[in-house]
Amino acid sequence: MIDIKCLGSSSAGNAYHITDGHTALLLEAGFPYKALQRALNFRMSEISGCLITHEHLDHSKAAKDVMKAGINVYTSQGTADARGLSGHRLKIIRAMEQFQIGTWSILPFDIQHDVEEPLGFLLANTAGDKLVFLTDTYYCRHRFRDLTHIMVECNYSMDIVRERVASGHLHPGQMKRLLKSHFGLEHVKDFLKANDTRKVKEIWLLHLSDGNSDEKRFKREIQEVTGKLVRVAGR
Amino acid sequence: MSSQLALVKRDTVDVVADKVRKFQERGEIHFPANYSPENAMKSAWLLLQSVQTKDNKPVLEACTRDSIANALLDMVVQGLNPAKKQGYFIPYGKNLTFQRSYFGTMAVTKRVTGAEDIDAQIIYEGDEFEFEVIRGRKKITKHKTAFSNIDDNKIAGAYCTIYWADGREYTEIMTIKEIRQAWKKSRQNPDKEGSTHNEFPGEMAKRTVINRACKAYMNTSDDGSLVMTHFNRQDEAIAEAEMEAEIAANANGEIIDITPPVSEKVEQGQSQASPEEPKEMRFDDFSDDIPPVRQAGNGPDSW
Repeated sequence: MIDIKCLGSSSAGNAYHITDGHTALLLEAGFPYKALQRALNFRMSEISGCLITHEHLDHSKAAKDVMKAGINVYTSQGTADARGLSGHRLKIIRAMEQFQIGTWSILPFDIQHDVEEPLGFLLANTAGDKLVFLTDTYYCRHRFRDLTHIMVECNYSMDIVRERVASGHLHPGQMKRLLKSHFGLEHVKDFLKANDTRKVKEIWLLHLSDGNSDEKRFKREIQEVTGKLVRVAGR
Repeated sequence: MSSQLALVKRDTVDVVADKVRKFQERGEIHFPANYSPENAMKSAWLLLQSVQTKDNKPVLEACTRDSIANALLDMVVQGLNPAKKQGYFIPYGKNLTFQRSYFGTMAVTKRVTGAEDIDAQIIYEGDEFEFEVIRGRKKITKHKTAFSNIDDNKIAGAYCTIYWADGREYTEIMTIKEIRQAWKKSRQNPDKEGSTHNEFPGEMAKRTVINRACKAYMNTSDDGSLVMTHFNRQDEAIAEAEMEAEIAANANGEIIDITPPVSEKVEQGQSQASPEEPKEMRFDDFSDDIPPVRQAGNGPDSW
């Protein structure tokens, strides 16, 4: 049984605490370290490792402090270089090379974002839980098997974006970047339809944009497509 | 005309013609005397029948009717004609877009701003080139070149000036570095052997600086007109069409999977992950955390 806690999920900062009851992991460290500590009730020593998808500060801000606190940070060489991370707590991981933290087997894979070497994560444990963590990517090249938990970014909806560009609330340049860096509702639906979701217990929608999203509508539409329990990560 | 084609025409050309007529009636758009939207649409329709997608399908079959209609509307509202090479119809997967050529950009700029002339020049290494900045606006005071300086491998930069009848002018200057930076955004890989940018750097540099000057000047007018909306819409429409085509081609492909170890292999797996420093990984020693060993066959079939 996986327990997922969202500590924050927006461009202001991302971090999630997941545990299977044996090994607790931190996914992303996109807050000042003190804020992370508070969110975790200062029980940092219970965290067995921290996985970071990419270099942007809303995902990696506390990476150095997390390592100082004695927690290993697992991320790509591209992200480590961009953030200037080094030391024995840094564990460089590569797409499609599986590794192990406690009870978790983890397979990093390539995602599509405007940075060097961003990663998504597929996590499985021996209890039969399988979770995919997919954020800051505008689509996913891969499909997955027997997922029980899906954590996927659902940043914007094209109709809201078009309307905001037309009304002058969103700069066209920002729109162009958005389209090639973040996951839109329509594409998230296609992703979910392309995967076998029969075993899925929970779908978490992450990283909803402040202006270009509609929490209630996204939740409803994803529920309609999948028939699953959908939760929107609190911002 | 096959009945299929007639249907497409009804949903695209006829719809757009109707829309344009309404814009004209409401006074939202005025075409210059020498532009006939009907003729431009006819040219476009003829042309579209021979445009094909990457995999050699006619765009009139492969692209959505909405995107065909939008492309036609973009063309007509800007007062452009594909027969004069003022723009091209380019498909991205299921989406057709209309892309102005730089001739098109110059034509729209002249029409919207009332400019008389738009001239661009290359600056070669060894040229005498001077400019001043007067009240924030660049003005070229001297450009003396020599026939022997002309060399596509020795381009130092380029400039473009827009002139008005009352003596006003507007100039953009770009260094070759800036030009190359702009090329990086090109859909065609400019560094590729035999790319247009590599074969005709002079012409491509002129094109880049003309686009820069025209777009910059057009955007200083806070004209919320229909023409400006469609002038600026091009980039967004292309970005969207490109993204959709890329996703349609690449998304949700091969299944990847992971197999959690079934027995004591957990420890083995862990040391594999970081073979370089097993001694230091005090914190990494999760052996206490390993759950009761599961028997093979207990889990999902895929293990």
